[in-house]
Amino acid sequence: MSDLKLRVKTMIIERLKLEGMTPDQIDDVAPLFGEGLGLDSIDALELVLGIEQTFGVKIEDEAAGMKAFKNVDSLTAFIAEHQPA
Amino acid sequence: MTDVLGQLPHRFPFLLVDRVVEREIGVRVVAEKLLTAGEPYFLGHFEDRPILPGVLMIEMLAQAGGFLEAEPLHGKAIFLAQILDARFKGPAFPGDRLRLEVKPEASFGGLLRIEGTVSCEGRALCTAKLLLKKM
Repeated sequence: MSDLKLRVKTMIIERLKLEGMTPDQIDDVAPLFGEGLGLDSIDALELVLGIEQTFGVKIEDEAAGMKAFKNVDSLTAFIAEHQPA
Repeated sequence: MTDVLGQLPHRFPFLLVDRVVEREIGVRVVAEKLLTAGEPYFLGHFEDRPILPGVLMIEMLAQAGGFLEAEPLHGKAIFLAQILDARFKGPAFPGDRLRLEVKPEASFGGLLRIEGTVSCEGRALCTAKLLLKKM
């Protein structure tokens, strides 16, 4: 697992208080919302804040956000692409 | 002067904002609620010792948050979706002039998270973060 992906998973666990869950237990390609990790729209806002505060990446465009939130892989790629140098 | 009744659909006995003191849409709102001895909730909370129920301070902040929106809320629905980190630091009594201060923290997907403070004469009585859902 890449360092960034590990940090993304750790951020998800911490922000959403997924107690008892470890980064290994989050599937890289399973959907974050609905099935898979089973997150809801309230969690989405929490993730937007977490990504901004942890990685300095703002998600203002909702469509771009939902695309990034598809799964851990897409979210990691989105953060890598938009992270300030 | 902001038209309170024009912006909020709430009415007596559940309109909990009397006037808007400062309003910068999408940035910050300061409103006031003047507590009178005749407020209906003081009748039973409590019989000989009227104290404003803490949950109503949360509702006051939510209603003040309605003025962050540019458009009037009539015919639209805004619901409380989450209450985060609510702290009640002191009681409010009949005669108090409550200052309701709210600002947005984040928004995404029809959800708006605001943080707010209810204060009286410079003393913070309640602080909370609220998630409002717009339908």
